[in-house]
Amino acid sequence: MKKIIKYAAGIFLLIIVAYNSVYFRKLDEVKASSSKFDAKNFARNYFDNKLMPSLPDAVEINQLLSLLQINKEQTFEKYGHALGIGNIRYFLVKGEGQVTSINENDVIVLAKADSNQKSIRIATEFVFGNAIRDASGRIDINEFANTMDFNNVSAEINKIVRAEVLPAFKKSVVKGDTVQFAGALELNKEHLNVGDIEIIPVELKIIEKK
Amino acid sequence: MFMNRVLYKAALVAVFIFALFAVNSCQSKKNEEHKKIAIIISTLNNPWFVFLGENAAAKAKELGYETKIFDSQNNTALETDHFENALASGYNAILFNPTDANGSIANVLKAKEVGVPVFCMDREVNSAEAATSQILSDSYSGCVALGKYFVQQLNKNGKYVELLGLVGDNNTWNRSKGFHEVVDNYPGLKMVAQQSADFDRNKGMEVFESILQAHGDINAVFCGNDAMAMGAYQALVSAGKEKKVKVFGFDGAEDVINAIAEGKITATGMQFPKVMAYTAATFADEYFKGRRDFPKKMPVAVEMVTKKNIKDYTAYGKKEEQ
Repeated sequence: MKKIIKYAAGIFLLIIVAYNSVYFRKLDEVKASSSKFDAKNFARNYFDNKLMPSLPDAVEINQLLSLLQINKEQTFEKYGHALGIGNIRYFLVKGEGQVTSINENDVIVLAKADSNQKSIRIATEFVFGNAIRDASGRIDINEFANTMDFNNVSAEINKIVRAEVLPAFKKSVVKGDTVQFAGALELNKEHLNVGDIEIIPVELKIIEKK
Repeated sequence: MFMNRVLYKAALVAVFIFALFAVNSCQSKKNEEHKKIAIIISTLNNPWFVFLGENAAAKAKELGYETKIFDSQNNTALETDHFENALASGYNAILFNPTDANGSIANVLKAKEVGVPVFCMDREVNSAEAATSQILSDSYSGCVALGKYFVQQLNKNGKYVELLGLVGDNNTWNRSKGFHEVVDNYPGLKMVAQQSADFDRNKGMEVFESILQAHGDINAVFCGNDAMAMGAYQALVSAGKEKKVKVFGFDGAEDVINAIAEGKITATGMQFPKVMAYTAATFADEYFKGRRDFPKKMPVAVEMVTKKNIKDYTAYGKKEEQ
């Protein structure tokens, strides 16, 4: 009887030791926990102190589209930002217009600056990627030890927009409202498509209800 | 008479100085002509890296340098040997595609210590100071675009698998993070397995075959590179599920570009290895000529390729680039 208790206690101890020796964690969780950079804090500071103060300097969307038709190269050079080489450039844009439709993933606005009227898609679902981070041209990749930290900044900036900018707008906007918007626009220099303009918003205001 | 002698001596000194400059200039020109560039690539078992290495060598040769390509076979110890050999053999610059973001730092620092510049291509090392410049694909942005397309293609619902690349490589995590930044916002999309297949086609096939046995009802697989995407596609063909499961890759390799055109693979992120290789070789040339103000990081934009825009692209780049 004593032997059985001894063996049972031994097996029990063994199970406890074995259970506590082996851990299963997702590979991406392990990788994420190894980074010491505080992307959330950096993003908050960047959003409040660099991005928001840059918005008054954003180019008006209809003006940008007209300039692209007149001189693509010069317009990309003057208003486009990118941190490296390639065809993709980001533009910080603003505008005002009337909401013509509200869809699952976006809101369509007829931007009216002057006689030019252009339909603009404002993304209300897919707010992701580096567009917002890079459009102002006020961030330097060389300040970061690795690109993962740098990309985490994008993820956190996008979270701010999704949590603080989109919900209130989506809740109250209706067709016919007049809205003011500012945000980032991605354009491909080589395959320029101005027929489908999508703005990733940074600021959205309903200035006149229907 | 005295004046003539002075003039004669002055002329003699001038000729001597001129000869000295001429010899010196010939010597430095000779040194420049004989400069050698080593190209150390993580693995030549993947056609994408072969293309990267060969283009770097071609551009360096075109600029007048002797080159040699070294294959690290995804092994950091072998990479260390290559660095030691290259430095001992008098190579003047290294165009480098690292095997490990952390493990490769020591090799780069070794070269830096002896004044040999290192230009990283496509993959980075986790140090802002070690390499002279790092020319890298913007994998994160490319995968954000793929993630968005993935969500749209699956109508925000379904089960999927992710095949990761080398766990020690930053590209693996930049791609995974970009993809998950979008996909994780949709609770209807459930990741049933996430495993590494080391960016390798055969491993991709083997790993995905065993995943398929446990999860036969998946709707899509997101792969960290095209080699694994082709491996996964082969596994799907063997299981007779190639029409039910959407495959997403990353790279813009030849077989995947053909597969997208044929409707076998759904999308990939096009990298531009030629742009990276040419930029690295040009930077090395500029370094020899005295330039020192290189950007520490130089991201290269990635573009998403689907059946809709496949006409604009060819393997490893845009049609007009080839």
